[in-house]
This record gives sequence, C-alpha cells and structure tokens, in this order.
Amino acid sequence: MASLAVALFFLGYPNYVIRPQRHQGARELQAALTVLRFQHVAELLCAAVALVALLMYLRSAPRRASLIGPIAAAITVLAIAALSRVNIYEVMFHPAGAPAFASVRESKLDGSERVLAVSAGSDARGYPIRAIAYHHIVNDVAGGLPIVVTY
Amino acid sequence: MNGLVLTFHLAGINNQNFLMRDEQTGSFWQQITGRAISGPLAGRSLRLIPSDELTLALWKTERPNGKLLKEVAADAAEYEPKDWDKKLQKSFPTVLNFPEHGLGNRAIMLGIDAFGEARAYRYEQVIGEKLVIDRVGSEPVILLVGPDGLSVRAFQTGGRPGEFFRTSDGGMMDSGTGSRWNFQGCAVDGQLKGACLERVEAIKDFWFDWRNYHPATSVYTGNGKLIGKRPAP
Repeated sequence: MASLAVALFFLGYPNYVIRPQRHQGARELQAALTVLRFQHVAELLCAAVALVALLMYLRSAPRRASLIGPIAAAITVLAIAALSRVNIYEVMFHPAGAPAFASVRESKLDGSERVLAVSAGSDARGYPIRAIAYHHIVNDVAGGLPIVVTY
Repeated sequence: MNGLVLTFHLAGINNQNFLMRDEQTGSFWQQITGRAISGPLAGRSLRLIPSDELTLALWKTERPNGKLLKEVAADAAEYEPKDWDKKLQKSFPTVLNFPEHGLGNRAIMLGIDAFGEARAYRYEQVIGEKLVIDRVGSEPVILLVGPDGLSVRAFQTGGRPGEFFRTSDGGMMDSGTGSRWNFQGCAVDGQLKGACLERVEAIKDFWFDWRNYHPATSVYTGNGKLIGKRPAP
C-alpha cells in the first residue's frame, strides 16, 4: 500500500504542478522538477517493492483471504510505473527526430510562409515556423556546430 | 557543454513557456532563456546563436542554396495553421497577466536585451513604421523592415555619420555619406560600400512572456517616444 501511495505521488505531483493552464510558482516548480528527476528510479523501486510484497503475501496469506485486493494493488503500482515512462508532451507534440532537409529551391511552400533562418559559415538552414511551432524542438547540426532549434 | 553534445526532448511547461530535458544529464532547461533550472547542469546556459524569422521568399533570395527542413509526413496534418499566432491572441488565455502599457498579454513583441537594457517593440508597430530609429541602453539601434514588409532585423548604428532613411526598394540610405544599405545591413554602393552594420539579436515573443523574464523592460511607443522605465544614460 505504501508503494502505491509513493508511486502515485511520483507520477501525480509533477503532472499536477506542470500543467499548461496553470501558474507555476518558482518553488513548487523546483519541487516538481526534483520529483521528476527521481521519478524513474522511484517508480522502479515501487514496482519492485509491490511485486515482492505481493509474493510474500501470497506465500503467507491464510487460505480464505481475498487475493483480489493485493493483486489489484500490485497491478496498479506496475501500471503507474509504466505510465510514468510515457512523456505526455511528446505524445501531444511528436518529436521531429533526425531532421531531413531539401534545397529551398525545391520547396513548394508559399513565399509568405515564415521560416527561422540560421547560418553557420556557408551552411544556411531554414525551419518553417508552422512546423517547429508544433515540434517545438529540432536537434540539429549546422556548419559542424551542434544546435537545438526551439520555438 | 562539458564536452557533451546534448540532445533535447520536450519535457514540460512553466507559465506557458516550455521546458526541455537533455538525454545526457536529465537536466531541465527553460526554452526562452536557454538556461538549465534543475539537474546536474542547473545554472548553465546554452549559447544563443543568431537567427532570423523571415518570409520564405525573402530567405530564398538571400540564401538560394539554403536547406529547408522537410515536414515530418506523419505529423504534417497537425502543424499549425496559418495565422496561428494571431488566432492564439483571441482564444488562448495566459496564466500570467501584465496589463501594462496598454499591451495585451499575447501582443507580439520584438524584444532586445542588450547594452544594459531590455526593450520591447510591438511587432505590428515596427512593420507599420518600416524603420525604427531608437536607442537601447547606451547604443543607437535601428529596426529595419525588409522588402517583404514582414521580416525585421535590428542593427547597431553607433559611430555612423548622419541618419538612416528608408528607401522605396526596402533598403536604407544614410544621410552622412549617401551610401545605400540592404536588408542585411551592408552598404551596397556609395562611400561606405562593403561595410556592414552589426546585428543586434531581437527575439519575437508574446508580451506576457517577455515581461515575465524582463521585469524592468521598457517599451517603444513609436516615433521616438519612450514609455516605461529606462536607466539614466
């Protein structure tokens, strides 16, 4: 039961604090981010503890005891642990992945489309705003320099 | 950073500016500042590199050999529609509120943070005026609108003789030498041919976000007038 509470906290608290239509105060943001940094380890521990506890219970439980409760609790902890591995932001906004480029001369986009233009030496790269406003992040290399394009 | 090449993932949101996380250290970074706010690299800042927001047509003329990011086919249907930033102004409320200088929270601004001052310009006003002659901190700065009427660049003009005037082809002329300047800030003929003005980084941002990260920002009101706080020269 304790591992269920802890698992819920490590999943629930950061997602509660970090929501788009909510104001984040500086201290609670720091707290939420710290929880997030340890979330993976915490959820793994909770899952392990839940499984061990279930096994111990199954071994020592009296015959007539209901097994449904403990099994459901353990499954819930595992589900929470699995859910915590999902990056909801990348579900909402798929990552761009390894970026692919084509010569601007071949582009069929309208001339009024906005692009974010970056130059490094002779390497000139354009990132259409409407695309990066969705992906938010493009990890790239320009003129040999590793860059991250954000919008 | 520290010899590592960082790879970033979208990781959260902080007062409607997003957070990202690097795979290598798990640190969290604020998008608008490029600064790590949590994790092993907390306090470190990514180096901002110069960039422009231009129309494709204009960028094509400047960089005919440029490479354009291809859309991710599976996601293209979800890309933002045209005028998405204007539509946001009507429909998406902000969690922070800064009703100052008559600006709406989602007013689109060009922000300059240089020479000891943070100063913001209403984008619509800049493209209306076509050439803004101003000062940021101790330095004379101009904002020039490109021949497409939509792209904007900011330049330092200190030490240049005379004043700049916009010409009908979308470039500029200076009254000191009569040289003609293009949208890249370089003189294409006249006495100063070949000289280039130094770029000043201007970031496009919503007013509420710019104001949140630059609490002492001043705001340009047009025609050389000033409102908002300004440090004594």
